[in-house]
Amino acid sequence: MSPVTENSKYALSLRGLVKRFGGVEALSGATLEVERGTVHGLIGQNGAGKSTLIKILAGLYQPDEGVIEINGIRHERLTAREVEKLGIHFIHQDRLLVPSFNVGESLFLGREPRLNRLPFLDRRSMRKRAQDILDRYFNLRLPANALISELTTAQKQIVQITRALLDKPSILVFDEPTAALVRREADILFDLIGRLRTDGITIIYISHYLNEIEALCDRATILRNGRDVASVDPRSTPASKIASLMVARDIGEMFPKVATTIGAPVLTAKKLSKAGKFRNVSLDVRQGEIVGLAGLLGSGAKDLVRVLFGLDTADSGEITIEGEQGRPRSPVAAVAKRLALVPEDRRGDGVALGLSVAENTTLASLKRFTRSGFLQRNAEHAEVDRLIEQLAIKTNGRFAPVRTLSGGNQQKVALAKWLSRKSSLYILDEPTVGVDIGSKVEIYNLIGKLAERGAGILVLSSDLSELIGITDRILVLFRGSVVREFRSSETTPDDVLAEATGALTPHHGEERHVG
Amino acid sequence: MSADIDTLPGYTSGNGTGHIVRWLAGFALRGGSLLAFAALLVFFSVAAPFFFTLGNIGNVLGQSAILGVLAIGLTIVIIGGGANVVKGGIDLSLAANLGLSAAVYATLVSAGYGDGVAIAGALLTGSLIGLVNAIAIVVFGIVPLLATLAVMNVVAGLELVLTQNTVVSASSDFLSLLSAYGPFDIPVLAYVLVIFTGIAAAIIQFTPLGLRLYAVGAFPEAARAAGLPVKRMVAGSYVASGFCGGVAGILSVSYLSGSTTGAGEMLLPVVVTALLSVVFSRRLVPTIGGTLLSTLLVGFLTNGFQLLNISSTLVSGIQGILILLVVAATSLQRGKGAA
Amino acid sequence: MSIAANPDHNPFGLQSVGQYLLRYAVIVALAGVFAFFSFATTTFLTSANLTSILVNNFTLLAIVAVAMTFAVAAGGIDLSVGTSVDFASFTFVSLVLAGYPVGLAILLALVSGAAVGGFNALLISGAGITPFLATLGTLFIGRSTQQLLTNGGNPVYLPQTGISPLFSFIGHGHIIGVPVPLVIVGLLIIVAATLLFRTRFGRVVLAIGVQQSVARYSGLHVPGHIGLIYVISGLIAAIAGIILTSTVSVYIPNSGGAFMLNAIGATFIGTTLSREGRPNVPGTVLGVLLLSIVANGLLLTGLSFYWQQVGTGLLIFIVLAASFLNRRGRVD
Repeated sequence: MSPVTENSKYALSLRGLVKRFGGVEALSGATLEVERGTVHGLIGQNGAGKSTLIKILAGLYQPDEGVIEINGIRHERLTAREVEKLGIHFIHQDRLLVPSFNVGESLFLGREPRLNRLPFLDRRSMRKRAQDILDRYFNLRLPANALISELTTAQKQIVQITRALLDKPSILVFDEPTAALVRREADILFDLIGRLRTDGITIIYISHYLNEIEALCDRATILRNGRDVASVDPRSTPASKIASLMVARDIGEMFPKVATTIGAPVLTAKKLSKAGKFRNVSLDVRQGEIVGLAGLLGSGAKDLVRVLFGLDTADSGEITIEGEQGRPRSPVAAVAKRLALVPEDRRGDGVALGLSVAENTTLASLKRFTRSGFLQRNAEHAEVDRLIEQLAIKTNGRFAPVRTLSGGNQQKVALAKWLSRKSSLYILDEPTVGVDIGSKVEIYNLIGKLAERGAGILVLSSDLSELIGITDRILVLFRGSVVREFRSSETTPDDVLAEATGALTPHHGEERHVG
Repeated sequence: MSADIDTLPGYTSGNGTGHIVRWLAGFALRGGSLLAFAALLVFFSVAAPFFFTLGNIGNVLGQSAILGVLAIGLTIVIIGGGANVVKGGIDLSLAANLGLSAAVYATLVSAGYGDGVAIAGALLTGSLIGLVNAIAIVVFGIVPLLATLAVMNVVAGLELVLTQNTVVSASSDFLSLLSAYGPFDIPVLAYVLVIFTGIAAAIIQFTPLGLRLYAVGAFPEAARAAGLPVKRMVAGSYVASGFCGGVAGILSVSYLSGSTTGAGEMLLPVVVTALLSVVFSRRLVPTIGGTLLSTLLVGFLTNGFQLLNISSTLVSGIQGILILLVVAATSLQRGKGAA
Repeated sequence: MSIAANPDHNPFGLQSVGQYLLRYAVIVALAGVFAFFSFATTTFLTSANLTSILVNNFTLLAIVAVAMTFAVAAGGIDLSVGTSVDFASFTFVSLVLAGYPVGLAILLALVSGAAVGGFNALLISGAGITPFLATLGTLFIGRSTQQLLTNGGNPVYLPQTGISPLFSFIGHGHIIGVPVPLVIVGLLIIVAATLLFRTRFGRVVLAIGVQQSVARYSGLHVPGHIGLIYVISGLIAAIAGIILTSTVSVYIPNSGGAFMLNAIGATFIGTTLSREGRPNVPGTVLGVLLLSIVANGLLLTGLSFYWQQVGTGLLIFIVLAASFLNRRGRVD
């Protein structure tokens, strides 16, 4: 533990932070004050500013305005190195571990034990100490030579937490730590956090799950639209109160659901199975209908989407698209069957950052602008300009690389790509992640319009109030099966979450974890 | 509700069948490559009795010394730069480096300087070339493939300027020592290769520095998060590679009794040898030991063909097929969805 | 969060004259060396010499570099362009020697070059091997194959007489005063530039080169396009093999490899002309021109022949350093 001599009550005090990206304000005066030796929750919806705040604390972003105090000492600028020296460590969602290393090497990289003061690695001691530590903290036994690439996601995370513990941190930041953990692992993690707190380590705990916050945290700060809206004691504050603090606007205003006429089925899937991913999943989406798919990591929802779009193949089952039976064998086939997918990994799969707005927009509809092999530039540009205007894409013209656009506008380009051709079913995977609130509403409106025009829409979202707000029906997947179907107008995020986490059996008040 | 796809923590669960297939493929690849190597040795030993004699093995080692030292240099760069050949670590200037270092050595010796000065000159030349690469890549941010390509051209040109495209012959005590036969009638160069590999392996495989270099190459963000000076280490790997070029230059002067005009020819064999190194490691990463094995594999192939009077022209074809087999097996082992 | 938004983004990418110069480093360098050699030597700026640059230095490298540009545009690289040159050359010489009509020989030579590309396509699109390693493997296999075909690497000469005039016309003829190889290169450049920049095929290739997964998620046929690119690359390189053979009337095994590294250099120098660093045919041609002028000019300055390579290397280095330094501030 780093000795603390200052008398400040706060281990950490970030006040009035402002951070802008281009025209978008990610943080507009956010404050986070964490008392020493406590577990402090940080909650907020996607895009509320959590990750920006954490990146400022990590020294990755410099705030445009605001005060940073750590252990009562003010810091004008933080660099990643200083942050580490101050004993602040981060357990990130993306696990920064070298796949070809074994556990011992991963734990001790950068501070390797040496053999009798020789300049050589003491591999045996690395292995032994790694096993001791894992055993002590997690009651976990890993074969000494297991490589990181052979571990499960949860095991990797445990290795990463252990790595941070070796540094004897004074502040530990957990960023959505349970997102990939199964129940038993999450319990071990909670035990551990309790022990760390007893050891005097200050913990910042970021999570979507209110029940985790309630069970773990001494205090919680709620972020909304780049500001802190409240700091509460989660044990004495009802979850519904916290939830309403998190939600930015009146739900009715934010999710403009238009009544549409629901027509014939666009997509019918019967008893789809894929080993290890999902089994016997049946669903249908009709013209004009917006269907939500809820499921946490490992539920099979993502895998189902991959199969529908031909990115993976199912082992068995039928898919019928617009009355025509046959599973798409590739994205090429899926697009030919008039399916459209806006993937979750926008910057990896959705838009090409190095291509211009125009090139991205017409990528899926090039045939329309081609005559005997040659591109018809004028027709192409007219269509691109029309979509830029229709979707209100903020860009320096059609030739600007998509890299230069904000997240929300990049997402609009990803959508525009499919609007440039006619699709009968749009599959939208996390359509508003990393999108500012203004663009979110515009995207919701657009989804509504597509449904109005008779397209079927399948939406995946981890923002459950969004999912309920914009869909007609919601199917919940849990461990590879559809466990429940809700009418969106008759359900609440808590109900959906309960099904998604498998907390069916009424052990009331018990924590729920991701399966 | 089905419980059969529940993933419980624990090592055995892995990632299902895909995991097992990949593990098997990996095992077959590693075991297979060693087995193939052994089978090759057995075949040659039976077909050409002289093959499996201490003298012949020593000769192969000696003949492989130059290739081996260069391949070790490239291996270091690949470890520190990552396995992506276009964006990752590669040093195309290595063969030209050998040529210039050898020319510097031979020129200095033939100008009457002593071995000490000549050795220093060659090593300095090699390291300087590495430093230029390092600056181009780390400071200017040029993709390694292009940076080292440009440097290769300059270096090859400087060699021509220095030697006027002739062989500068050189002889000195040190050179005679290197080209002589040592204990057990095995060429000194063979011992040099073994010792050089030993030192390189000790540094890369057994020190914290080596471990860190692997981290820098395999996952720079993770290395940065662990507080490692990523850029400096990448730069260092190119200087080390340049140094290897200098060492190889000296060996080549002793082997050929002078400078060589055809150093550029070494480039592709060196690249192939370093890339093949991967199959001799459990984790499918390049290692110094693996590079020695793949150097010897190429050496024994050439030698065996010579002894059997089979045209040695087949060697490069077999090298080509080997790369393709190895890479295909490696990508199977890593799994198609890994990307 | 929107990390992508770059507040300092300048739509024209020009913040100062210096940056402007850096951005067009190739053109500045081209003008610079042209001016320099015009003043430094009396012979450089003569029509005979300029023609010689185009015919002797430019032609073959330009063809191979255009072939390379296709592979690089699709996000790959083709180390076996030289193998295609050689195979085409070998097929051409063998068939002409065996008495087949020159037209048929040309056709089959093109096919053999394309076949090398087809082999790459199988390895890359079929077996999923990365282009660098796949084409490196092809290069090695091609080497052995040629040595086997020629009893260990003996050149195959054509007799001076008794060969169809069409043969020497390709290498030495003129069309309205313009050397035939130059006409072929000119046509090739126009066709290649059109194919890459004006057609749907070119756009798809570009998208694959910039971000392959996006092309896949957009329902484009990625493996098919990539495979076709390598066939095209082999086909174009074969043209160089045919011209080379017609010019020198001999096939020398494994001689095509000499073009490979310069072709890569020219292609990447060419990418600096594009603001997004994309491979493009005009840029590649300028890159080849730069290399050709430097090679020729250095020779004329009377400097040692061997300084040529140093000069060329340094120039490539400077152009690359300038453009990468310039791009650094903007990308990522």
